[in-house]
Amino acid sequence: MTMDRRSVLGLGGAVAAGVALAPGVHLIAATQTTEASGSSRWAMLIDVNKCSSDCNACTDACRKENNVPLFGDPDRDIHWIRKIEIRDKEGRRPTVSLPVLCNHCENPPCVHVCPTAASFVRKDGIVLVDKHRCIGCRYCMIACPYKARSLVYFPTELPADGNPDVPIRGKGVVEKCTFCVHRVDAGLAPACVEACDKASEGAMLFGDLNDPTSEISKRVREVATKAIREDLGLKPHVHYQGL
Amino acid sequence: MISEFTTVEGRLPAFYTLLIILGGFVGMAAAAFFYVEIYGHGVTGMNNKVVWGLPHIFAIAMLVMASGALNLGSMSTIFAAKQFKQFGRFSAYLAVALLIGGLAVLLFDLGRPDRMLLAMMYYNFSSMFSWNVILYTGFMMLCLLYLWTMFEAQKYTKVVGSAAFFWRLVLTTGTGSIFGVIHAREVFHSAITGPTFIAVSLSSGTAVSILLLVATYKAAGLEMDKKLVFGLRNALIFFLLLVLYFLFVEKFVKFYSPAFYDVETWILTGPLAWLYWGGVILAGIVAPLGILFNSTLGNTVKGVMWGSALAVIGEFAFVAHVLIAGQSYPFNMFPGYEVSSVFQDGMAATYSPTLPELVLGLGGVAIAGLIYLLGIRFLRLLPEKAVVPKGWDVPWNP
Repeated sequence: MTMDRRSVLGLGGAVAAGVALAPGVHLIAATQTTEASGSSRWAMLIDVNKCSSDCNACTDACRKENNVPLFGDPDRDIHWIRKIEIRDKEGRRPTVSLPVLCNHCENPPCVHVCPTAASFVRKDGIVLVDKHRCIGCRYCMIACPYKARSLVYFPTELPADGNPDVPIRGKGVVEKCTFCVHRVDAGLAPACVEACDKASEGAMLFGDLNDPTSEISKRVREVATKAIREDLGLKPHVHYQGL
Repeated sequence: MISEFTTVEGRLPAFYTLLIILGGFVGMAAAAFFYVEIYGHGVTGMNNKVVWGLPHIFAIAMLVMASGALNLGSMSTIFAAKQFKQFGRFSAYLAVALLIGGLAVLLFDLGRPDRMLLAMMYYNFSSMFSWNVILYTGFMMLCLLYLWTMFEAQKYTKVVGSAAFFWRLVLTTGTGSIFGVIHAREVFHSAITGPTFIAVSLSSGTAVSILLLVATYKAAGLEMDKKLVFGLRNALIFFLLLVLYFLFVEKFVKFYSPAFYDVETWILTGPLAWLYWGGVILAGIVAPLGILFNSTLGNTVKGVMWGSALAVIGEFAFVAHVLIAGQSYPFNMFPGYEVSSVFQDGMAATYSPTLPELVLGLGGVAIAGLIYLLGIRFLRLLPEKAVVPKGWDVPWNP
């Protein structure tokens, strides 16, 4: 029996047209959660001179605050913030220890490449992932120059002593540092900054760059700061002093 | 003069055996998909450094090949190579089959494939992925329309074929640009990635067409003039040389810039150098060219088949090299410094594919194979006798 080729081609064409036109149902820019005030621009300043290599207060506090699981698999563990050691290849400068996290860029490549606009920038500059819209394509992980994003490789659940303010991520979704957005919205500093304050002389400073009277604005004006990979033009908002 | 188009008889035991084997692969791929879905991507070899692994290699290789599969149709419709007009239907249909196979792997390797509806509802127009979704679906529509005109309305074949030809160039540029636009990764970022992908699509698409045409005609007991195979051999030689040219230009430009010394040296001498030298250059270009240029081997159908098979292997190696080397090379966040962390900063990433990934990738190939088999069985895609037009001869032989 030979199928009627008109029917086959017609059906094939209809299916292809349906698939092609389906995206057109919403041929508008994806809506985003941007309730935050546009008058603020949250940023962080890290003084590497005050950051000790044996201190992990920031990373520990982040895990606890945000229910970030440790799978015991170094290749697939999730890191919202991590401590990095850098050594001058010529040995002219001492080894430096510093935390690296999502830089909440003004021009974030992760947001540019995300096909469903699950990655987005709030009006106050905080880059977030809508975990309900993320399809787990991982293109944002490819595009981020800070290796700041992780895919949730395994099923996870909220720990018994977990923080109910931060829902646990579903597997197959990309996640990353939120600047502790739930705390920022409540007028608090991110957990890493608070822990750093308690543990040391306060190597981490968080605040509103748009407020000229804020501590961070003053420090950024007064001292020389650097950002990681400034050459890429992403305008990162984690600044480093003494780097 | 094209002889009557025919369907391939499906009564042969070999036909059903092949159907069952391919169906088995699709079944195993479905099992692998559910396995990964239930236990998470942790059961694959992928990790937080290499986030696109073997399934993406299969998917992208097939998508690139799909664009190249349209070569035969384009050669006749656009470039008036009359001897290939008889393969126009085969060409457009094969392009669709490969595209569906590749897209299936891509879809089933998403972290959350259950959310595909969201991908269709929310569009981010700054994303190269979004553009590629439009390019793939548009290409499929044009191929099906092209196929329809060849069956039913030949007066439109030229215009639709021209549109499909233009679209495939944009499509493959888009596929290459998935990598080329990524500024953060030194291995990826390049304006020439798109054109290189086009050259690779031309070679691999021609190669897979040769393999399938010869195998199908032989298995179905149909007749094909060897001159057609040798004509395609010449095209394949040209396309392979084109790939080599683009690869050379890329290395030339990057080695001209001190900023790329480290990364290019790593590519050519580092832990994945075998993939470049062994897979892309030796197996994918030098060996097939050696066979196709050989006055003995190059003038036999078997030799051309070997050359084509190696060109297909080379295409997979090329995609694997771009993907894996691109993700493995450590980010250079602090130029001039050595970096270390618990997140393996400063270290080249390692990646070992696992069985579920391989099965998932092979499932995509099997889907394309099934679509092809059903196509030649139920649609009149191939001429009963593939012959050359009167007075036409192969312009050059080794």
